[in-house]
Amino acid sequence: MTKQKAIRRSMQCGFLCLAILAFVGSGDEAARFDHLGHQLMCICGCRQILLECNHVGCPDSDGMRNELMAAVSRGDSDSLVSQAFVQKYGPTVLAAPTNTGFNRTAWIVPFVALGFGLMTVVFIVRAWRNRPAPALAEGLCPVRGADLEPFRAQARKETEL
Amino acid sequence: MAQIGSYVLLLALALSAYSFLAGTVALVRRDHGSERMGETARRAGIATFAMVLLAAVVLVICAFQDNFSIAYIFHHSNRDLPAPYKFATLWSGQEGSLLFWSLLLAAYGFVLRLRYKTDPRLFAYASVVIAGVQVFFLLLLNFAAHPFAVMQGSLPSDGAGLNPLLQYPEMVIHPPMLYLGYVGFTVPFAFALGALIMKYPGEKWIHVTRRWTMVTWGFLTCGIFLGAHWAYSVLGWGGYWGWDPVENASLMPWLTGTAFLHSVMMQEKRGMLKVWNMWLVFATFWLAILGTFLTRSGIISSVHAFAQSSIGEWFGWFLIITFAAFLYFFLMNKSHLRSEHKLESLVSRESSFLFNNLLFVLACFTILWGTWFPKISELAQGHQVTVGAPFYNSVAIPVALLLLVLTALGPLLAWRKTSLESLKRNFLWPALGALAVGLVMMISGVRPWNDISYFYALMAAMLAALVSLTVISEFIRGGRVISGHSGQNLFASMVHLLHRNTRRYGGYIVHFGVAVLVIGILGTPFNREAEKEMGYGDKMSLGPYTLVCQSYTQEYNENYSSEWAIINVLKGDKQIGTMYPERRFYKASQQAQTIPRIRSTAAEDLYLVYEGLNPDTGRPIIKAHLNPLVMWIWVGVWIVIVGTGVALIPNAQAVVRVPAPKLVESHAPAGAGD
Amino acid sequence: MTIFICAVVTLLTLVYVFYLPGELYLGPEKTRAAYLRERKDAVYENLRDLNFEYKAGKLPDADYQSLKTSLQDEAATLLAEIARLEKNPPPASRRAKA
Repeated sequence: MTKQKAIRRSMQCGFLCLAILAFVGSGDEAARFDHLGHQLMCICGCRQILLECNHVGCPDSDGMRNELMAAVSRGDSDSLVSQAFVQKYGPTVLAAPTNTGFNRTAWIVPFVALGFGLMTVVFIVRAWRNRPAPALAEGLCPVRGADLEPFRAQARKETEL
Repeated sequence: MAQIGSYVLLLALALSAYSFLAGTVALVRRDHGSERMGETARRAGIATFAMVLLAAVVLVICAFQDNFSIAYIFHHSNRDLPAPYKFATLWSGQEGSLLFWSLLLAAYGFVLRLRYKTDPRLFAYASVVIAGVQVFFLLLLNFAAHPFAVMQGSLPSDGAGLNPLLQYPEMVIHPPMLYLGYVGFTVPFAFALGALIMKYPGEKWIHVTRRWTMVTWGFLTCGIFLGAHWAYSVLGWGGYWGWDPVENASLMPWLTGTAFLHSVMMQEKRGMLKVWNMWLVFATFWLAILGTFLTRSGIISSVHAFAQSSIGEWFGWFLIITFAAFLYFFLMNKSHLRSEHKLESLVSRESSFLFNNLLFVLACFTILWGTWFPKISELAQGHQVTVGAPFYNSVAIPVALLLLVLTALGPLLAWRKTSLESLKRNFLWPALGALAVGLVMMISGVRPWNDISYFYALMAAMLAALVSLTVISEFIRGGRVISGHSGQNLFASMVHLLHRNTRRYGGYIVHFGVAVLVIGILGTPFNREAEKEMGYGDKMSLGPYTLVCQSYTQEYNENYSSEWAIINVLKGDKQIGTMYPERRFYKASQQAQTIPRIRSTAAEDLYLVYEGLNPDTGRPIIKAHLNPLVMWIWVGVWIVIVGTGVALIPNAQAVVRVPAPKLVESHAPAGAGD
Repeated sequence: MTIFICAVVTLLTLVYVFYLPGELYLGPEKTRAAYLRERKDAVYENLRDLNFEYKAGKLPDADYQSLKTSLQDEAATLLAEIARLEKNPPPASRRAKA
C-alpha cells in the first residue's frame, strides 16, 4: 500500500465513522453513501457488496468507495452515480438488475408467477369444492342408510376422545 | 493403498449396476426365480455400501499417512494439518466430496435394504431407484472425478494444504449435515417413484417414508444454518447470508422439501394432492442434484464453487435423464394418482396448505430465477448482470412475511372446515399481542415510513409475535381439552397432548423456532459498523461500546502464523471484556484468513475483525460491527431442531385404544387403490 | 499384497451376494382387506382429530355433526366391507385379475 493510499484509507475510515454517526441522526449524504454502496458490488472477484468487501489489500474496493464518496458529495443523482459506475466497470457492478429493458423481466417474472400461482390455487379450490364426492375405494361409496348402524356405533366407540 | 481404493470403487460400481439391473429384471418378471434374483440385488446394494465405505476409509487413511502420491491428498492436505481437518479432507474437494456423497447415499440405501421386511415389494422398488442414482455417482467417481488419481512426476514433500476458510471446527460438520440433507431426499423420492411405478395401493408408503423425510429435512436445516453460522464466524463481513448461488442451491430443495412436509399430510389424511406431492418430492430431489451441478460445473460464478470441471456435463445429463424417466412413469401411471376427497370449505387446514405450498414453491422459483438470471441475461442481451442481495431481499422478504401469516393462521384452522366465528375468537388474543409488539417497537423509535427495511422489520416482529402466540394458545387450548378429560393440571395435560400427536405439536414447536429465528433476522436493518486504525490506547466507539486497543501480538505454529489485537471492551466506563480478533497466514496454502471475534448477547453481537496491519503506519485496522439480535437466529434453529426431534417420536396410544384388526388373509389383490 | 486384499474382498462380496441358503422373506401380498384397514385407520384418525378440534372450540355444532356423520359413514362402510371380506374371502378369480 502506498503512503497516498494509506492516507486515503485513513480518511475513508474517518469518513465512514462520521457517516455512520450522521446516519443515526438523519438521512442525508451519509445515508445516500450507505444506500448506494449497498447497491453496488466490489469488482475484485470477491462477489461482495461494495461496502461489505472486507479484505485489506483489495485492489478495487478502496478506489470504488472513494469514487462513490466523491460522487455523493458532488450531489450527483442516484441514477447518475449508477450510470457512471456501469460505464466504468460494466453492468455487473450493479448488485441487482436495473428496472429497464430486458432486466425488468428479472423483477416482473416472480410477480407474474405469484399471480399465475394464485389463479391456479383459486381454480383448484373451486374445482375441488364443486366436484362430487369420490368413491372411498374401488366400488365402495359411503352408505348413509341405517343398515350400517352397528358399524357406525363401533366407529363412534373406537374414536371417542 | 491407492490401488485398493480404486479397485473397491470399481467393484462398488459393478455391484450397484448389478443391484439396479437385477433388481429391475426381478421386479419386471415377478416369477419364482426372480425372487432370488431380487434378493441378490438387495444384497448387492448392501455390498455397495461396504465397498464405498472401504474406499472412503482408504482415502482417510491416506490423508492421515500424508500420502501425497495421491493427487487429491496433495491438493487438500499437508503434514501439519490438525487431525480433525485431515479427516475432513474427505469432503474438502471435488472428488472426495463426491465420494462422500456416494457414501451417504449408500448408507441410506444400506439402512433401507436392511429394513426391507416392512414391505418387501415397495422397498425393492425404492432400492432399485437408489441403486440407479448410486450408479451415476459411482460412474462419476470412476471415470470423471477419481479420488485416487496418482500425482504425475516427482513425489512432493508436502501437500498444498486445506483451504484456510475450511479450517474451522464447524466446517468439519457443516458439509456432512448438508450432504445428509441433500442425499437424504433421494429416499422419499425413491419411495414415491417406486409407489408410482408399482401403483402402490393406498398411502401407507407415506407413513413408511415420513420419518425419512423429517430426518432428512432436519439434516438439511442443520446444514444450511451451520453454513450460515460458519459464514458469520469465518468470512468476516459481519453477515450470515449473502444470497450466493451456492447458498441458494441449498435453500431451494429446503423450500420444496418444507412444502412437501406440509402437503404430504393432505395425501396421508385426505388422499388429496397426490400428483402435486409426486412432483414436489421429485423437484426436491432434482433441485438437490441441480445444486450440486451449480457448484461443480462452474456455470454460475460463486465464491463457494469448486474448480470448473467437466463433471458439470455429467450432472447435466443426469438431470435430463432423471427428469425424462420421472416424466415417463408419471405419464404412464398418472391415473393412479386420482384424488379421493373434495374440499369442504375454503376456511380449512387444507386450503391453508395449498397457499403454504404456493408460497414455498414461489420462493423456490424466485431463487431459481435469480440464480439463473445472469445466464439468461447473457443469452438475451449478450452480457451478464449481477443478481445479488438487493434483488432477493426485495422479492423474498414479502413472500416470507406472507408465509409467516399462514404459519400463524394454519394451526387455528381445523381440517375440512373451520367456522369464521371460532377463527375470529381464537385469533383475537394473538392479534392483540402482535399489535402491542408493533406499538412498543414504534414507541421505541422504529419508523416504518422512513425506510422499507424498517417496515419489514416491524411486520416481521409483529408476525413473529403472532406465530408464537398462536402456538402457545394452541397448546393451552389442547391442554385444556385433555385436562377436562383426565383431570391433570394444565402443564401435565400439555405434555400429554405433545405425546398424543408428536408430529402436529412437534411441528408447532418448529413454527415457534421459526418465529424466534425471524426475530434474529429482523435485527439486520439496524446493523451498525465502524472501522479504524488503532494503535496502543486508541479508542473507537460503536453504539454503547467503547473499544480500546490494549496491545497487538503475533504467534506461530506449524500450520499458520497469526497476528491478533487485544481489545478491551467498555460499556460506559465499565470494562466488560476483552476480545482478540485475529488474522492468520497459513503456510502450506500461502493464504491469509481473518478470524473474527464475536461477543454475543441476547440484545446484540459485537463483532470485531482484525483486517491486518497497515504496512505504512504499522498499525492494525479494526473493523467493528454491531449486529442486533443475531443470537436469536441460532436459538431459533435449536428450537427448530428440538421440534423436529419431538415430531420424530412415535405417538403415545390414544386414550381409547383401537383393537388391532385380526389379519385375515383374504387373497384378493388390493385393487381398490389402483 | 494389494492383489491378495482385492481378491479376498471380491470373494467375500460374491459369497455374500450370491450364496442364499434357506427361505426368502417375501412378506404377505397386500390384500384388499389390508388396504381397507389402512383406509379405516386414516378415517379413524380424521374422526379423532375432528372430535378433538370440536372440543377445542374450532367448529360450531352444526358443522361438527355433519362432518362427523359423513366420516362415520365412511368408517362404517369400510368396516362393513372389511367384515364382509373376512367372512367371505373373494374367489380365486379375483387373484387372477392382478
